Amino acid sequence: MKKRLLIENIFIYLFLGVIFVITAFPLVYTVASSFKTNMEIMAEPARVFPAAPTLENYVTVWTDPAFNAGLMGLNSLYYTLANVLIAVVTASMGGYVFARGRFPFKRLIFGCFISLMFIKVGNIGIYATFQVLGLLRLDRSLPALILLNVFGVPIVNVYLVRGYVSTIPRAVDEAAKIDGCDFFGIYCRVILPMLKPILATVAILTFQWSWNDYIMPTIFTMTNPKQQTLIVGLMALKSGGGAASSWNLMLAGSAIALIPVVAAYACAGKYFVSGLAAGAVKE
Amino acid sequence: MKNTTRQGGSPASIQREKHKEALQCFLMIGTQIIGFLVLSVYPIIWTFRWAFYAYDGIAANTRFIGLQNFISMFTVDLTYWRTWANTLLYAALKIPIELCLAMILALMLNRRLRGSHFFRAVFYLPNIISVAVVGLIFTNMFGYFGWVNGTLLKIGAVREGVDWFAGRGTAFAVLVTGGVWSTFGINVMYFMAALAGISEDIYESARLDGASGFTAFRKITVPMIAPVLQIILLLSLVGTLGVNEFILTSTNGAPGGQTLSVMAYLTRQFVPGFMAAGAKPRLGYGCAMSVVTTVIFAVVALAYDKVSKKMPSV
Repeated sequence: MKKRLLIENIFIYLFLGVIFVITAFPLVYTVASSFKTNMEIMAEPARVFPAAPTLENYVTVWTDPAFNAGLMGLNSLYYTLANVLIAVVTASMGGYVFARGRFPFKRLIFGCFISLMFIKVGNIGIYATFQVLGLLRLDRSLPALILLNVFGVPIVNVYLVRGYVSTIPRAVDEAAKIDGCDFFGIYCRVILPMLKPILATVAILTFQWSWNDYIMPTIFTMTNPKQQTLIVGLMALKSGGGAASSWNLMLAGSAIALIPVVAAYACAGKYFVSGLAAGAVKE
Repeated sequence: MKNTTRQGGSPASIQREKHKEALQCFLMIGTQIIGFLVLSVYPIIWTFRWAFYAYDGIAANTRFIGLQNFISMFTVDLTYWRTWANTLLYAALKIPIELCLAMILALMLNRRLRGSHFFRAVFYLPNIISVAVVGLIFTNMFGYFGWVNGTLLKIGAVREGVDWFAGRGTAFAVLVTGGVWSTFGINVMYFMAALAGISEDIYESARLDGASGFTAFRKITVPMIAPVLQIILLLSLVGTLGVNEFILTSTNGAPGGQTLSVMAYLTRQFVPGFMAAGAKPRLGYGCAMSVVTTVIFAVVALAYDKVSKKMPSV
């Protein structure tokens, strides 16, 4: 019996090991290749680790006027941080209001928000959004996109916070009410401080999708390359002419784009995972 | 009496407090209500309206043409339906591989061997990475001068490099590999969550009754996780059928649009920044295709819901 278990375990570890290698390999390969010259990438593709590691690619992407990783990184950073801030504020208020608020049409409004997840006309609807921006005399730009996100309905995050607020005993609200807090006061002074764990999840999830966001920032920075985020700039480089000659730069750019998300995952993995249910609904 | 005044006991003050609370509620979710109407509902109405027009953004060319857009997409221009065929093929290849793999891994990790937390964390890693970057990495690795060809040549598996993106079959192989790579981890998490809900006692009593191994899996594990399995399948289905960015950043339809998914096709035809430079998109026609796509997705979700509810009784 024991021997059989041992053999089973060896087999399991072998399988897990193989999948581990397959999972990690593309990332290792990308980072390793970002230290190669383009010559080496093209001529010796089977060799994973660079024969003569060089930082040249990183220097180039940092200073190259055509692919300015420094500026793009800053754009990514401010787009991401703005979205995180927006998500934390709107999701916490939305979650609190839908969990505790008493107001007319509450269920109807929440139902409408939820149904959003199932009815999507796809990206062609962006022309209608352009019309709205035109009425407001706003150009397509990264700040304009952030403004749109202020008015977004972060339904998955609202749903997460709402669930979390429902686990807080109502006695807490009542006590604050007796002390003279009104509905908004209870949110600010009592509920909000208790929401830290779930808001950490909201923040991490928003950080992840914003940093990785591709389609919307591409649309909104099309006429304004100086506002491109890292992902947008990378893909522009890929689809532009002469892509084959700049694999070294693209891989270095990819490595830079990977670092923040992977680092966040390494440090705060549990928040990624506790938000899994959220990611699920979003897909 | 002392107490009630403090809590606002008189009917008028209760009423006032109720009004105040409702007002505060609306103010707190005000941006979301406005955004819902202006940025979600309005684009839907816009799309449904222009689906009945010949419309390319120029006022002089705009006219009402009734169902003509729909008629031509069902009879004349079949490109749209070919992209659906691509999408279904992609889903039919990717979903079974991904879910079987995830299930096997979850069963293994569920044994709580040493290091299972570490494996689980690594398997989930591709999920957090930008899909666009995943597309770029797989384009590089499967490029003609990429790592895959280099290795195949080195070990002598092929005489000359495979042009992965030149044939429909090989291009799909790359897509399915990349697709499975980037999303299997989340399914491992789902399956593990489902398995954690099964009590060890059930297996114990099954073992006493002489059932173990595959029988136990079939008779206990599968029925016990069936409800979660349905959700996992639906999520995987909707996510895979809606594949967009990954296609755009990897094959981008190569060869000749033969691997374009329906979403990637619509994006490339109609979305600024993804269209061919200088193209004048037939927006009215695009709206008709978007309407049909939306309806198909809704029907898939509904049909799936109906069918899966009957499944356990079969």
